[in-house]
Amino acid sequence: MSILINQNTRLAVQGITGREASMIVSHTLAYGTKIFAGITPGKGGQYVQGVPVYDTVAEAVKQHDINATLIVVPPAFALDAVLEAIANGIKLIVVTTENIPQHDAVKLLYAARKENVTIIGPNTVGMINPKDRIKMGSIGGDRPERCFVPGNVGVISRSGGMTAETSWMVKRAGFGVTTCIGIGGDSLIGTNIKDLLVLFEKDEETEAVVTFSEPGTSFEEEAAQLLKEGGFTKPLISFVAGKFTESMPEGTVFGHAGAMISGNAGRPSLKMKALKESGAHVVEKYDDIIGVLQTVLGSKVGEAK
Amino acid sequence: MGRMLEDASKTILKENGIPVPGHSVISSSEEISEQHLRKPCVLKALVPVGKRGKAGAIKFADTVEETKTKADEIFQMTVRNFPVEKVLIEEKINIDEEWYVSITIDPQKQVPVIIATTEGGVEVEDLVKDAPEKVVIYHVEPFTELQPYQAKEIWSKLGVTGKPLVKATGILCKLYQVFMKYDCYILEINPLVLTKDENVMAAASVMGVDDAALYRHPELEGKVESGSERSWRPLTQLEKEMVKVNDADYRGTARYTEMDGGEIGFMCGGGGGSLLSFDALTNLGAAPANYTETGGNPPEEKVKGLTKGILSKQGVKGLFVAHNITNNTQIHVMARGIVNAIQELGIDPQVFPIVVREAGVNDEEGKKIFQEAGITYFGEDLTIEEAAAEMVKKMRGVS
Repeated sequence: MSILINQNTRLAVQGITGREASMIVSHTLAYGTKIFAGITPGKGGQYVQGVPVYDTVAEAVKQHDINATLIVVPPAFALDAVLEAIANGIKLIVVTTENIPQHDAVKLLYAARKENVTIIGPNTVGMINPKDRIKMGSIGGDRPERCFVPGNVGVISRSGGMTAETSWMVKRAGFGVTTCIGIGGDSLIGTNIKDLLVLFEKDEETEAVVTFSEPGTSFEEEAAQLLKEGGFTKPLISFVAGKFTESMPEGTVFGHAGAMISGNAGRPSLKMKALKESGAHVVEKYDDIIGVLQTVLGSKVGEAK
Repeated sequence: MGRMLEDASKTILKENGIPVPGHSVISSSEEISEQHLRKPCVLKALVPVGKRGKAGAIKFADTVEETKTKADEIFQMTVRNFPVEKVLIEEKINIDEEWYVSITIDPQKQVPVIIATTEGGVEVEDLVKDAPEKVVIYHVEPFTELQPYQAKEIWSKLGVTGKPLVKATGILCKLYQVFMKYDCYILEINPLVLTKDENVMAAASVMGVDDAALYRHPELEGKVESGSERSWRPLTQLEKEMVKVNDADYRGTARYTEMDGGEIGFMCGGGGGSLLSFDALTNLGAAPANYTETGGNPPEEKVKGLTKGILSKQGVKGLFVAHNITNNTQIHVMARGIVNAIQELGIDPQVFPIVVREAGVNDEEGKKIFQEAGITYFGEDLTIEEAAAEMVKKMRGVS
């Protein structure tokens, strides 16, 4: 098993005829993930790398029973694309678009919450489940196997690039992954660390979770609260990058838009403290992920499926 | 995120029917004349940072002579790293009470939030903690306007009544409209003033516009300081040049921030990978001379320009190049850009320490380019932290 995506995922790509989408589509198809339909207004009837294109999400859903959509449209069109997907009953939406105006992000996230729709992103590399060879987003690039091999560890990252690097560290430790999710670099996102830990808790195949974090937001503090309340009981290995930013003047953003420290909120040291106190394995050095994983899952070395 | 200077935000407020004090901007005290002094005035440094009052950059004056003297004092100042180039002159208003209202986006609830209080002159964050009953925190549903009854309830809860209630209600509705209309991430009126003649007026304003939304606000062209999220000081000359390098081609990103001092040129990415790399170096006691993120598959020219910039800073004695394993950034393009830069600068990697840790798309070819140029290259054989340790080891020879 895995979380969010599996063999039953019936994927569509909104914005499939765009420049950005063409590379994602070819890598996704090459990986073996089936894309059932694409949507671009005015391009209905065309094909992109063998995938039929429709003018509306409604038609794509009607023809192919679409239940998940990947949004690869420019910022000005992202809100409408999400609203269209929600209106047509799609419950899983991955929004890759970067630089969506905040007010639009607020609206699309609000619309999704009202209809119980899961949004990953915006500004995300996406997610991957290597066992079923399904990926949504640019995650993994042209060679997903390099970093993502099947196994029993879940990966959650606030950085797209570090989703790959962290999964590669899992591989280097001798294990593999169930599902890896880049949750998006913005502060306003649809699914945060805590939300995913709840799903990983229920997933039988996932035996531990590794998280990569950055300054800013309260995602780590909320995750720590979940652990304290007993909502996540598997080993959690957490790394928080950007400790050097604490000695920089306030209001400075390094890395992603979400990585803003204001007052005490968002400080890596406080995030680490909260996670430690809740029982997570907080590693000071990123490389320590390897050793801690081996200790935590020690008896299972070699058994990774 | 882009902040606006106060004169620009006040002009917008006025255009949208919100009363503000009469104001004008001067670049020198010589410009001050009788026409500025029809009433006693307030002088404020026009800089894109807050807490000017505490810094002594807000002054009051009653005569032309006094105004000139005080303006000169302000022009001498540097407020939180920003030298004062312009001064705002406003008519002084007859204050009875000072209130506070702000509109922002609540990051937890992910909806707009109005924070209001009639307790003036205090830090609102402290008030929320110490006397929460004196503050109203009101969330607004996206996709809707703020209805007059909602604005009325906010002020009424704070004890406002009579004519001021009617005025404050109208103003809050208009402020919310401005917040929505201009894609603000913050609109703060501190103080919102109740005047002796029972009018309500926005005496000071902070307006920040989401620069991701500037494409739909051509009317704000030139009024918003785009990219001012690293605004603890003005951009340095080298930083400005690097902005040009980045803007010359829309593909990929190249962001450059200078650190005080430092010896290691820092050429890393992406957003998270560069944070990790910087931490790794500082944990080992090394001092990066700059912070750089590059990613999103930048073209060769951009990589070259950025590398040259990094190496041109005085005191740089080595170069560390690292990325997380890339999803789309092509390593051979990175390699060409970096190698071209060091060759054009006549840098010899045999004596000038360079360590590269780049893995991902097209890294076989990238490895070849780096190694043929005599540069120490690592791919998937080392972690980022291990590569940082190699860098620090190499630096020992030159520091």
